[in-house]
Amino acid sequence: MVLELKDISKLYGEIKAVDSVSMEIEEGEILGLVGPNGSGKSTLLRIMIGIIRPTSGRVLVNGEELSEGGWKDFKRSVGYMPERVSFYDNLTGMETLQLFARVKGGGLDRIYGLLQRIISEEVLRRKVGGYSKGMRQRLNLAQALLNDPDILVLDEPTSGLDPVGTREFYEILEEVRERKRLTVVLSSHILGEIEDKMDRVAVMKNGALKAIGSMETLYRGLKIPLRISITLRERDEVLEGLLQREGAIDINYKNGYLLASVPWEKKLNVISAVMEEKERFDDLSIREPSLEEVFFGVH
Amino acid sequence: MFTDAMRAIAHKELSDKLKSKWVIVIGAGFTLFTVIISYFGAAPAGIAGFRPLDATIASLTSLVTYFIPILALTLGGGVIADEKEKGTLELFLASPISVGEFLLGKFSGLVIALALSTAAGLGVAGVVLLFKAGLPAARSYLIFIANSIILGVIFLSLSFLTSVLLYERTRVIASTILLWLVFTILYDLGLVGLLIVTKGGIGTGVFSLLLMINPVDIYRILNFLSIGEFKVLIGLASVEFPAYMRTPLLWVIGLLWIVVPFAASYHFFKRRYLHA
Repeated sequence: MVLELKDISKLYGEIKAVDSVSMEIEEGEILGLVGPNGSGKSTLLRIMIGIIRPTSGRVLVNGEELSEGGWKDFKRSVGYMPERVSFYDNLTGMETLQLFARVKGGGLDRIYGLLQRIISEEVLRRKVGGYSKGMRQRLNLAQALLNDPDILVLDEPTSGLDPVGTREFYEILEEVRERKRLTVVLSSHILGEIEDKMDRVAVMKNGALKAIGSMETLYRGLKIPLRISITLRERDEVLEGLLQREGAIDINYKNGYLLASVPWEKKLNVISAVMEEKERFDDLSIREPSLEEVFFGVH
Repeated sequence: MFTDAMRAIAHKELSDKLKSKWVIVIGAGFTLFTVIISYFGAAPAGIAGFRPLDATIASLTSLVTYFIPILALTLGGGVIADEKEKGTLELFLASPISVGEFLLGKFSGLVIALALSTAAGLGVAGVVLLFKAGLPAARSYLIFIANSIILGVIFLSLSFLTSVLLYERTRVIASTILLWLVFTILYDLGLVGLLIVTKGGIGTGVFSLLLMINPVDIYRILNFLSIGEFKVLIGLASVEFPAYMRTPLLWVIGLLWIVVPFAASYHFFKRRYLHA
């Protein structure tokens, strides 16, 4: 199932929450939607699965625009995990899942094995009112999987989880994808957390899509310089001159370290030249840009 | 027609409301007052004890006009605001159900909760009265209970609309209290004021039409039509109603009071949440 967004905009009065966004989500891929709070990620996710309608633009599923009935059918294949949901304090976890299974037309038996991995039976027997934030998020994920979806849409799924909870969450997500190669669209503002888990990343700011592609494509497209750090015994003007000749910029010596930025297209030249002079320094480290740097580079 | 998803939503709503402490308090208070009024209704005349059924219905009509709208507004007031606050509204909107299924499921659950509370409240006194008055009186009393449930469902529909229109629970509560005041007290005061200002010159036809606009007055008239000789007890002694004002017509108007606010709820819900 291929999902296409064509020139989607969403206005709330004067405020443009989403501004002319076009993108295609391929079957089986895992797409990360990143951007700061208020960048329009949640609104775009809601439009994507028909919770709200765009002010302008079209959502196409397998190349076709959906009718009212078409949206209803489409939602049968979507699992959605909103960022903030506290559920009903007076119901147990199991009763909550049974309610949403009936509403979605799914059944607990379809995901029973997976359910035990996500949330224990002991916890499911307890009232949701006594759940921690982490337990509620697990329940939230379980309800999203109730209808055995083809597309899983997760809005800031690890928000409020501690590092252990976050790691467990991604392990569970991996297990889910091992059982069924479903499409996942996941939003987050914690960039480092998702960069190694995504096939592609879409970067949003002020409602607009600033960049989309694999990490590699984004790095190349943005031509973010590498950072090179050479550990010296004492200041070495020969090495500084060499770096300058090979195209390094922002060359700076500080506290025994020679620091420089290397434009993406010059990195091989610079590294080769420096390695030829390896007897002149003690150590060398090269740092590639993280998604964070890509993200802020885009902004 | 009534899908499993709708049944699940209705069941959740019903079970929540029947466990709600507010509904239990109002329901218990209503039952208590029903029994007290049934027994002591003729106390001003120096008589204590259960009276004829018609006289009891006349007394209970006043009680119902105050209690049942409050119960209905309490049941329906926070119905959408609560889901929004919990974040569960998004889960329903992302589910493969239509807005109509969602709202109708919720509304059905509330109607059943209201009907059960009303029947229970009036039923306790009804059982005692039936022992005293015999089975022939059962029909009148059942119609009275049905009319009371219709009044409740009208206010449920109004509170449902209020809940859709206003996001915050506090605003919903304030608005529903205002609605209750308008329909149970202020509207009739306005009518009395109009009669005074026009020195009774507005005519029975216009006055009757004005009465038929207010669901609480519709309820009073419905009960009056079944217990005509006791109309003095429900404040309609001097009113002669036109011939067309009969029970079926009043039920149709009551039905419109249910359907129109509910249809408006559907319209505004779609506009507010789907096309927001």
